[in-house]
Amino acid sequence: MITREDILNIALLAKLDVAEDELDNLTKEMSAVVAFADAVNEADIKTESFDNVNNLANVFRSDEVQPSLPNEEIIKNALDSDDGYFVVKKRA
Amino acid sequence: MNYELVSGFETHVELSTKTKIFCGCTTQFGGDPNTHCCPICIGLPGTLPKLNEQVVHYAIMAGLATNCEIANVAKMDRKNYCYPDLPKAYQISQFDMPLCKNGYVELSNGRKIRILRIHIEEDAGKLIHQQGNTYIDYNRGGVPLIEIVSEPDIRTVEEAKEYVEKLQLIMRYIGVSDCKMQEGSMRCDVNISVRPKGSEELGTRTEIKNMNSITFIAKAMEYEFERQVSVVESGGKVVQETLRYDEASDTTSSMRGKEDAHDYRYFREPDLVTINVLDSLIEEIRESLPELPFVKLQRYIDELGIPETDAQLLTKYRKIAEYFEDSIKGTQNPRTAANFILGQIFKRLENESAKEEFDIKTTADQLREMILLIESGKVKMNLAKSTLEKMLDTGKAFGELVSESDMAGLSDEALIELCKQAVSENPNAVADYKAGKEKALKSILGTVMKNSRGKADANMAEAKLKELLS
Repeated sequence: MITREDILNIALLAKLDVAEDELDNLTKEMSAVVAFADAVNEADIKTESFDNVNNLANVFRSDEVQPSLPNEEIIKNALDSDDGYFVVKKRA
Repeated sequence: MNYELVSGFETHVELSTKTKIFCGCTTQFGGDPNTHCCPICIGLPGTLPKLNEQVVHYAIMAGLATNCEIANVAKMDRKNYCYPDLPKAYQISQFDMPLCKNGYVELSNGRKIRILRIHIEEDAGKLIHQQGNTYIDYNRGGVPLIEIVSEPDIRTVEEAKEYVEKLQLIMRYIGVSDCKMQEGSMRCDVNISVRPKGSEELGTRTEIKNMNSITFIAKAMEYEFERQVSVVESGGKVVQETLRYDEASDTTSSMRGKEDAHDYRYFREPDLVTINVLDSLIEEIRESLPELPFVKLQRYIDELGIPETDAQLLTKYRKIAEYFEDSIKGTQNPRTAANFILGQIFKRLENESAKEEFDIKTTADQLREMILLIESGKVKMNLAKSTLEKMLDTGKAFGELVSESDMAGLSDEALIELCKQAVSENPNAVADYKAGKEKALKSILGTVMKNSRGKADANMAEAKLKELLS
């Protein structure tokens, strides 16, 4: 059961401001999402190992340097940049 | 009441791989901002991380060198937190299935500091806060780290210092990290609590984050210990919190408000597959590990007869230990090489990093050749010492600087002749000496040495001079 406190906590962790009048609706929506995902809990998994479903292990790369992207490419999508740095508003 | 310090360490060690943990970008320190980056390490959508195999190997080496069990199955997990130093809003780390666990580091007082686990993870980017803005450089983002988590087994500041130094020494020896604390390639989070002496219960702990100097770790721990004791003594309770140590004021202060309450919501990293470690790989890596410094230390003392303080200096730096071992091959007394290294050679290595680099012109083979000549009686110690200086200056071999006839030294007659000459050249010193000034003999001896061009044996010359002047 999702509570208003859960929503506030999630908002806090995600650094989102949630207005008081949004809380009830968000709680309802989140409950529905979680209930949907709860279907997974009903599956019978006693006989199956879900630790490694794709049956893949040890996919490695060797320690060889590949070229990085030029700085212009890296910061191309940044909302704000300065002298090669990404710039964001300082967070408290 | 007497209080006891209880402390555990989380030590981050940057691995010396060439590339980042999940992409091929270089791990080189520095560089212009955001030039060692690619779509993977800045977390663009649609990219897939791929684990650097060397990271796994280095972590296993670190685990074996600290007596850990190595997991046969390990996995990566997402640690979620929202802060601009992580472009993806999560760090790929290991949660419940780390590569190494249950190890220990033994201190010189015989106490074992248990290691709970060692896991691999990616480093975060560097932030510069300026005028209400944060400038982000992701060059360091994705550089591989191991985090070495100790149990709260440390009881004194001295133990803490030794523990950190020992980890540093081990990691450098096995070559997994340069552990340069000033460059941030080794950083410690220090957990501290206090309790009445004799109590078995753990008190509430605080955590001092991101310490990168052993001196400041010691200072911060002393301050925090006193602070907690005074809180408890005045009837208060220590609050569990994360602290920052301020070097200028030598105090700790709280770092985080309640909004940062830890809730990392770890879950398995779906973009990366399981890591299987075969026993054969573990054994292969175990075999390849160099002799560890404290094993070496004991061997130098027990088998080579090196005094403990000298053995400590020789084993503190891997390159010096290797040089020493190469230079004593086939020689009779290892202490001869030890004395040359710790004397004349050390004098030329001014600081820790020079000792670490050990960039000197004389090779171990060249030193060994000279020692063999000394041991066979062909070369006198005096000549060896003065020639070694020239060898260290020029990189030339002993034989290039000293001829066979020089090596032969002086005959008794020639020495007496030189002494007589020096006496006649220094009438004032002779008079002083005869008047009782022992020191005056030194200047006469100096003349003998100079005129013999270093070939005379100083002890023998001194004896001859005393005879002549008696």
